[in-house]
Amino acid sequence: MLKAFMTTFRSKLVVMLLCSILMAVAIVVQAFLIVSIIDQIFLQSAAFHAIMLPIAMVILALLLRIIFQYGVTYQGIKMAQLAKLDMRKQLLGHFTNQPIPEANKGQSGEKASLFMDTVDEMDAYFSQYLPQVIQSIVITATLLIVIFVEHWASALIILITAPFIPIFMIIIGFKTKDTSKEQLSVLASFSGIFLDTLQGLPSLKLLGRSKDQREKIAESSNQFREATMKVLQIAFTNSLALEFISMLSIGLVALEIAIRMIIFENVSFSVGFLILLLAPELFNQLKQLGSAFHTGRASMGAASRIEETFSQAATPMKWGNTSLAADQIPVLSLDQASFCYEQGNFRLEPISLSIQPNEQIAIIGKTGSGKSTLLHLLAGLLPVTSGSYQMDGVSQYNVKKASWFQKISYVSQQPYLISGTVRDNILLGVEQVYSDHEIKAVSERAGIWDWIYQLTDGLDTEIGEGGRGLSGGEKQRITLARAFLKRPAIIFFDEPTTGLDIQTEQILQVSMELLSKQATIITVAHRLHTIREADQILLLDQGRLMAQGTHQQLLQKSQIYQQMIRAQQGGGRT
Amino acid sequence: MKKVNIIMRMLLKEKKDVLLSVVFGFIAGLTAVGLFSASGYLISQAALAPPIYTLMVIVAMVKLLGITSAISRYGERYFSHRGTFTMLKNLRVYVYDKIEPLAASLLQRYRSGEVLARIVGDVESLQHFFLRVFYPPIVLVTVMLTTIVFTTVFSFGAAVTIFFGMILLVFIMPWIFLLLQGRLASSVRKQRGELSSEFTDYLYGFQELTIYQKAETKQQQLFTVMERYEQEKLRENRRRAVREAVLIFLSFLLALIVLVQVSFYVTTGSLSGILLAMLFMIALTVFEDIPSMAAFPAYLEESKQASERLSQVWEGDQEPKGTLRELDTTEALTYRLDNVSLCYPNQALPSVEGVSFNIPQGSKTAIVGASGSGKSTLMQAMLGFLPVVKGQLLVNDTPIETWGKESLWRQLNVSLQQNHFFFGTVHDNIALANPEAGEETIREALAKVHLEHLSLNDHVQENGANLSGGEKQRLALARLLIYPAQTWLLDEPTSSLDAITEEQIMDQLYQQTTAATFIIIRHRLVGLEKMDQIIVMDQGKVVETGTYQELISKKNGYFQKMKQLEDQQIQW
Repeated sequence: MLKAFMTTFRSKLVVMLLCSILMAVAIVVQAFLIVSIIDQIFLQSAAFHAIMLPIAMVILALLLRIIFQYGVTYQGIKMAQLAKLDMRKQLLGHFTNQPIPEANKGQSGEKASLFMDTVDEMDAYFSQYLPQVIQSIVITATLLIVIFVEHWASALIILITAPFIPIFMIIIGFKTKDTSKEQLSVLASFSGIFLDTLQGLPSLKLLGRSKDQREKIAESSNQFREATMKVLQIAFTNSLALEFISMLSIGLVALEIAIRMIIFENVSFSVGFLILLLAPELFNQLKQLGSAFHTGRASMGAASRIEETFSQAATPMKWGNTSLAADQIPVLSLDQASFCYEQGNFRLEPISLSIQPNEQIAIIGKTGSGKSTLLHLLAGLLPVTSGSYQMDGVSQYNVKKASWFQKISYVSQQPYLISGTVRDNILLGVEQVYSDHEIKAVSERAGIWDWIYQLTDGLDTEIGEGGRGLSGGEKQRITLARAFLKRPAIIFFDEPTTGLDIQTEQILQVSMELLSKQATIITVAHRLHTIREADQILLLDQGRLMAQGTHQQLLQKSQIYQQMIRAQQGGGRT
Repeated sequence: MKKVNIIMRMLLKEKKDVLLSVVFGFIAGLTAVGLFSASGYLISQAALAPPIYTLMVIVAMVKLLGITSAISRYGERYFSHRGTFTMLKNLRVYVYDKIEPLAASLLQRYRSGEVLARIVGDVESLQHFFLRVFYPPIVLVTVMLTTIVFTTVFSFGAAVTIFFGMILLVFIMPWIFLLLQGRLASSVRKQRGELSSEFTDYLYGFQELTIYQKAETKQQQLFTVMERYEQEKLRENRRRAVREAVLIFLSFLLALIVLVQVSFYVTTGSLSGILLAMLFMIALTVFEDIPSMAAFPAYLEESKQASERLSQVWEGDQEPKGTLRELDTTEALTYRLDNVSLCYPNQALPSVEGVSFNIPQGSKTAIVGASGSGKSTLMQAMLGFLPVVKGQLLVNDTPIETWGKESLWRQLNVSLQQNHFFFGTVHDNIALANPEAGEETIREALAKVHLEHLSLNDHVQENGANLSGGEKQRLALARLLIYPAQTWLLDEPTSSLDAITEEQIMDQLYQQTTAATFIIIRHRLVGLEKMDQIIVMDQGKVVETGTYQELISKKNGYFQKMKQLEDQQIQW
């Protein structure tokens, strides 16, 4: 995936390469000039003013070097920005394309961490690793060429000793790779222990054990230290080795030059000094390359994690261009429609049914029987895997997305409020402009007006994320107000199981009755009342449609249904 | 430094490692300077064709300096990191000590785990303080000062230049950067936070947003925030690069100034030409580590903010001490609430208002009501976690505030709605309640809550992540069964269990608590016939109290309606 970016960033990489070459040239020019300055003053007893021009030129060379170096870094930074933007957009697109089963909500923490942290981790690859690699390679090569031209023996010494660096690192690396991997996983679990303990403090206090945990934290932190130090020691030994090798190499170079200068007298001061300036610079670049690889590896790990996510692609919802007739409730029909999740083994077996306008449908079954999946399928939130789903005789694939969602409302057990005002939330998804008077009317019907009225800012009170907290009942009523305003043709309703106050319960029941007069209502039902009143009951078990019909019909033909009703009438004490 | 006093205190505890890091850093830096100046001298000497033995001496010196430098660098790294991790340990313990007595009120103030995660993150980020902020400047300055003293032997003028260079690069420039940086760091963090919450918002609301056709708008909004964040991040990165470039430029420029200056001395004959290369090399190497100071302001700012945020957590939040009494009894407690109002911090409206009831010794009480009706809030106050705003909450006829909290909790067997389980084994997690309990006792307790299938050595992940809701609830009860407290406070202890298991476990509990004061919050209304009293709550108020028979026979009563509704529910 990082490779794919390389093609997109080709022009930036070329600029980076050019800047690196120019930077290397500036470094060489700078060294030449400094050597000549010292040579002139030291050996040729030149006058002070003679070095003014070369000094000015050194400063210019230095300035250029800095500018080109900044150029390299800036390209990297820019690439990082673009790459991260692109990555986040791709991730968003990926998450968006996935169907939305309820279960997905559970993984939102994981997704958020992928979207925020993992993508951020890729920053270093472009902003640090890539510039450093290109810069180091170009400069090392340039310096080596210059040294070779000036005094080939030094270049030979460097060429012979420098490869020891990677070889040495590989030897150490191989030996320690497994242990350090093991250590790192230990490290991860240690840092979690502190958080774990803090989160558990209330429990610990009540159990009178909070004091003991102090020792545990100290102990695990010590272990953490030991483990980390082991990993770090490897890294430090690596750089020690690197340092030794570069020292050896530079020492040999210096010795060879000194001997030539004194004994054979066939190397001049300026050449010797130049090489003595350039050789450490060369090894410096190699050292920096070494540490860059470390940063790079973390980023590559992040990239592969993102890649993994992309590989778990799910079939996205497809929509078409046919608009559904306005002011008409569509007939819904499933023909041998099935659904299965890409991951996990749950499967909704082929179902055929037809839902006429204004019908009341109750979907019932145990937890995990596929009730929610069927509701999502009918609501157009999940695609059928096989078979077909038709709205007014048009395949769902050909229906225009907007024209379908205009017709429906979804009242869920855990209603979601957008960040915004109460008004924003009630008006969510309606195109027309509504007066406060109309908003008041629907709020009254949803039994939420009294609550809104007592707020200091009324309809303009901020709610949702970061805003004022609402109770479950209040949220539920806001979604009801939404539904009243939208006047949907079809309402999908996930009946609450527990936890609502009596008042909201009553409001919900009355509201649903009102709404059902003008709409088809498809309910995942938990109330006996809803089930008895339904025109069609869909009884699911283990992803299979076991029975279908009215209360009376099912009482006669379905054993499971009979059992269920009997258990219920047994006094609720099951 | 006042703002980073927490970490400074930790630093001073690890004097040995701090000292060793500085010493090794000093030796490493100084030998590096020595190494390069010696090689500059070497090459100049070589040009003058001296006797070979002087050269040998210098070469040997260069080698020795090189090896010393490399080894010292290793030592510096080793001790500075070891010191850092020891400090991290001390810091964690310190933070724990600070937070531990405040757990109760902290829990109220920061109900989300996010803040705890932030505390952990802040502690982690303080590890940079020593490594990047505290000791590098010390090492730099000592190396520089020693070099300056050494340089005076050869050229006082050059030494003065290096000294001013040091003032400029180590003190003035970082200070200027610090001033320029301003709020940038916090701005990046702010943008990041915004992006993060926008994204979570989008993810949570995706279904609704799709249905109400707002997904595209929201996505566009998300893109805008994303671009803002990346723009801010780009600016931060760019500034870092500019700072680094400026420092490289200045440090090299200073070496050039020394070169010009020394050249002038040589041409005027006041200094031997043989020292020219050496002095230039000294100037060049002594400023070599300066660019690493480019990151200094960012780390300093980060450390400051982390330190400040940490101390804010516990500042001005001391537990009242002194007049507390120890609650020392082996008998079951009594509770009496007299017109009690409770209010969460940062919330305008009280969550519980004017509640009164009486719980005699050894009685069995159930509190019921819709979610959000104030049941759990009431329980928080009965545990002393939440202060009473109005009215009186009496434990054994004494206001709850009078009792030492630890002594109160010793009398209680509590199951919270969210019980915490720690990284470790099943045994560890249960034995927390009573370390003296033998394995047999623990196994019995597990059997009583129908968890025979768990082995005592079974692994438990952080936060009990590998346990189901039902398992967690039963483990929490097992904990209580091995501790002999006579007062039980349970907040929906069986809500994740199926009806049959629930009833069996409840029977088990009743058997064990015949003499105990027993208070339970329930959401299912079955099995309440055995209760001495049922307290029904709605919207923060008590709407009804009575026995099951009294409440169920009350026409149009709240409880009776709740029960009716529950009977409507399908039980699978």
